[in-house]
Amino acid sequence: MDTPSVVLYRFQGDSEVELFVGGLKMGSFFRFRAFLLLIFAVTHLCCNSVAYGSSSASSSSTTMHTNNWAVLVCTSRFWFNYRHMANTLSLYRTVKRLGIPDERIILMLADDMACNARNKYPAQVFNNENHRLNLYGDNVEVDYRGYEVTVENFLRVLTGRHETAVPRSKRLLSDEGSHILLYMTGHGGDEFLKFQDSEELQSHDLADAVKQMKEKRRFKELLIMVDTCQAATLFSQLHSPGVLAIGSSMKGENSYSHHLDSDVGVSVVDRFTFYTLAFFEKLNMYDNASLSSLFGSYNPNMLMSTAYYRMDLYERRLEEVPVTNFFGSVMETIHTVSAYRAPSGKNSDKDKIKLSLDQSVGLDKKRTLTSSNVQDQINNSNTKDQLGVFEHLWCTFLNKAEKIEDVDILVNYGLVIMLPLVAVFTWLSR
Amino acid sequence: MAESETPKTRPRPLVRLGIFLISHSLLVSVVCCTAGVLALLLLPVLAKNTYISENALMPGSANAMLSSEDISEAHRFMNDLTGLNLKTGETGIESSRLIARYMSDLGADVNYHKFHPQPNQFRPLHFFSNSDSRIIQENICCSSHGVNTVGIIRAPRGDGKEAIVLVTPYNSHKIDLAEALSLAIAYSVFSLLTRVTWLAKDIIWLAADSKYGEYASVSAWLRDYQTPVFGDFEKPYSEICCESNARHGLKESEITERKISDVFRRAGTMAAALVIKVSDGNKQADGTLSIYAEASNGQMPNLDLINIVNNLAVHRQGLQVKVEKLLSLLDSKWLRILGEVFESVGNIARSLNPQWKFGIPAADYMEGAATLASSLYYQALGVPTGSHGAFRDYQVDAITLEISPKVALNNKIRQTEFLQRGGRLIEGVIRSVNNLLEKFHQSFFLYLLTSPSKFVSVGVYMIAFALLVAPLPIVAASLYSDANKWDSSLKKHDPTSSPKSADDEHRNILRSWKWLYAAKQVFIIHSWGVLVSLLPYLICQMPNWMSKVLTWLILGSPIIDADASQSQKREWAILKSVTISAAFIGLCLMSVINFATAEIGALLLVPMCLLAHPLRLDVRAHSLKAFTRAGCNLVLGFIGFPPAAFFVLKGSFEGFESVNISDFWNWIESLWAWNSATYLYIGMVHLPCWALCIWILLHPC
Repeated sequence: MDTPSVVLYRFQGDSEVELFVGGLKMGSFFRFRAFLLLIFAVTHLCCNSVAYGSSSASSSSTTMHTNNWAVLVCTSRFWFNYRHMANTLSLYRTVKRLGIPDERIILMLADDMACNARNKYPAQVFNNENHRLNLYGDNVEVDYRGYEVTVENFLRVLTGRHETAVPRSKRLLSDEGSHILLYMTGHGGDEFLKFQDSEELQSHDLADAVKQMKEKRRFKELLIMVDTCQAATLFSQLHSPGVLAIGSSMKGENSYSHHLDSDVGVSVVDRFTFYTLAFFEKLNMYDNASLSSLFGSYNPNMLMSTAYYRMDLYERRLEEVPVTNFFGSVMETIHTVSAYRAPSGKNSDKDKIKLSLDQSVGLDKKRTLTSSNVQDQINNSNTKDQLGVFEHLWCTFLNKAEKIEDVDILVNYGLVIMLPLVAVFTWLSR
Repeated sequence: MAESETPKTRPRPLVRLGIFLISHSLLVSVVCCTAGVLALLLLPVLAKNTYISENALMPGSANAMLSSEDISEAHRFMNDLTGLNLKTGETGIESSRLIARYMSDLGADVNYHKFHPQPNQFRPLHFFSNSDSRIIQENICCSSHGVNTVGIIRAPRGDGKEAIVLVTPYNSHKIDLAEALSLAIAYSVFSLLTRVTWLAKDIIWLAADSKYGEYASVSAWLRDYQTPVFGDFEKPYSEICCESNARHGLKESEITERKISDVFRRAGTMAAALVIKVSDGNKQADGTLSIYAEASNGQMPNLDLINIVNNLAVHRQGLQVKVEKLLSLLDSKWLRILGEVFESVGNIARSLNPQWKFGIPAADYMEGAATLASSLYYQALGVPTGSHGAFRDYQVDAITLEISPKVALNNKIRQTEFLQRGGRLIEGVIRSVNNLLEKFHQSFFLYLLTSPSKFVSVGVYMIAFALLVAPLPIVAASLYSDANKWDSSLKKHDPTSSPKSADDEHRNILRSWKWLYAAKQVFIIHSWGVLVSLLPYLICQMPNWMSKVLTWLILGSPIIDADASQSQKREWAILKSVTISAAFIGLCLMSVINFATAEIGALLLVPMCLLAHPLRLDVRAHSLKAFTRAGCNLVLGFIGFPPAAFFVLKGSFEGFESVNISDFWNWIESLWAWNSATYLYIGMVHLPCWALCIWILLHPC
């Protein structure tokens, strides 16, 4: 088997395959592990000091980024708000293209422009007057549509407090390793966002929901992107760590539409979203463009408003965060040093990959995934440099252990060694 | 009295203010009236620019789709129509059949609507309760019916609950070029709309047979549209009368006319209606679009509808939009002087503070004032300015668009260009209204136009009226309290009445109820006013000789009543006080029903009522002030008489040589025929108040 121990995850969907590969030799592992632990108990008492329990108590800030979600909301109804639906669908298309699967996108559209009688192109939605791209193609899964898009449902989606009958596809099943993109567009004002022409989401409602999400460990990092008038005011109440917010306009400013499609007869896209999309059109999922380059791409003269971003709650430097961390589904590339350290519960971030399985399978616990064949990577000079003394010993021990051809034989040897040990102990206790 | 009973406890501030105003009633009334007139004159300066208030409308956001094929089709249609005129025979039926065939060829649902012109009937309470009595006279002559042709396009993906109406009035007996052009414009738009995919509302094209007047045909169709008849109520005359027409109408081609029926077809509720007309004269108007909006009793369509049309016509089609204005005002010198004064005041204000921008150029002011005056007049008249008025009775926003071609439309190229412009304008308006989600509600319903793109809203123009009528209650209260005071002071000086007795008490009570006599007087005169306003109705109902007797009896009755009872010297003051109160109530009621009438009425009534003073006293006084007052009273008394007022106004605007005695009668008759509330106002408020004022003038003191 030549599966490398360096596992590069691109897609969440692929993770189960990886797990399967890892699980092939699970049975032999456990036996091997039991033996090794016994050896440790005898030989290196210091090993006990490496706490087992620390991993379960770890805060989410130290949890790995393992999956991506997107919540895309268009809050306004009516034909003349065509552009808001086009905004949201454009972003939907973009995040899908950059790798967030449909099952992890919650799309909320308050009205159905595609089937509006006034639409000159029935069942099609465009975000550009050249009409090259139909946003409302075959693979659009709208989770909340029409009058379902309410403040209540929106807050329920964020906080996860659904009624029991709500299907899983309409829930945001994120966890403490999730990066969530929350995109909202519609008509806003000072500290509110209008929903459906009848109700409002206020800035403290949003902040409260985000706080609940944080407490319930529903995200690791959250990017809130809002394209409304006075969008910046919507962020004023936020104070949960790990939240990054960007809005299309400052307080007192309007956000404008980009252009009018005189064929359809309405404005088809807003400026902020248009330039966001223009930025992403140049990217594919392998690109390393950072969030700061995205934020820097907004030109106030082109937007006719000032894009505002709030990053005092966000710990990482924007230059180091690729946009695909939120708009795609790209995790950090991780070199696993060894297959065996992880089960010991050692909590060094660099060398461990945690994979959170979908809760749908009912497996809440985290499993540590290692690869069976580690021989090649153990001698990897890069990783070796960073190893401590203990780890050095561990490696040498492992090197010896690898020399033993067959695991079963090793186990048998172990058992044979245990017999005199048992004899010695019984003799001593007598 | 407040001051006599409690010197220690001061009355509340509001009461004190009231007492202060009443005690200075002369000053207050002079200031308020001047301010009211000034505010009215300032309205053109205070006018705001119109703006599209409803977001959903988005006029002009879509490109016009009307193609040259549509135009050439419309041209063919027009040629066929005008060709009918050359042939002899029943063009009335031929033309409507031609229109119906063209409509159904486009795929529209078509039906004929036969109607009988309703005779003008005075229904005094028509504007209060729209009780629509479907009067079917037994002896309707079968030949005397008009035929409207109605085509309906169903919106392909719409819900069929709403509709937009296009109306083209035409005379089925003789279609002239202008009417043919207006039909062709509607046809071109109609043919486009059968193909488009963006319709959300059904489109109704009503080719209204204006043989008996445009309004009659449109209102007949609307009446039938809005009041569906079930059962066989309508059957009789449609069968009897139309059998013959239908027979030879359907004989030749069953297949092409399968969609044409006599069954009344409906679409949804009407969102808006556009009456399309082409003015035939090459008069002064070239390349302009005239908008007529006034419906009955000064009701206006939503301002947004006018805004859309104005916006599209000016910015898209390059048409010059205009609304009616009193042209004679443009030449008047005093208005020019006033405009220059306002302009210079504005300039001075701007030099003091650049933020103050309320001055407008004198020429603009004059234009605005002329338009405002005409807007006020047509609203006050209460008679619709076109067939769009019929829609307003059903709360449908409608306007008439009269397009004047730039040049004589003789050759084909000019006609094509004209059709294209007109068609694209109509298409744009329809597309904009099509975007509407609800009825027009966002913009103003109560407004006066000072230009197609400027308006004065209700909040501003009410100020002028409020200032004008504000002195009335104050003066009434002051007159009443003065009269009482005068009586009590008279009593004090009288030595015989000094000992207090039960009899004296009794007289005191009687005196405090003295206003009842005056009120009775006023009530009698007002009842007389009611009778006078019902006179035409009574005359219609009665035989000839009896009606004449009745007329003289009614008109003469106040004279008999006049010398019935005058007892006390100061009675005229109480009478004036009650008169003023009645005028105040009447004006305020009228301002709710038709503001413009109340405004114009207040301009005439308020000075007359306030100045009314017995002539005999003035003559006796021998002072300049008294003589001036007497002179003013005589002039106001003359102007206040409704016919005199009519002739003076008409003469001053149109020149005195054109004034004819029968004009007034015609004018009153038109008010009566159109069920205008103004007629009731003249009969029940203005005329009695004028009579009372004359009575006060002639009071024998």
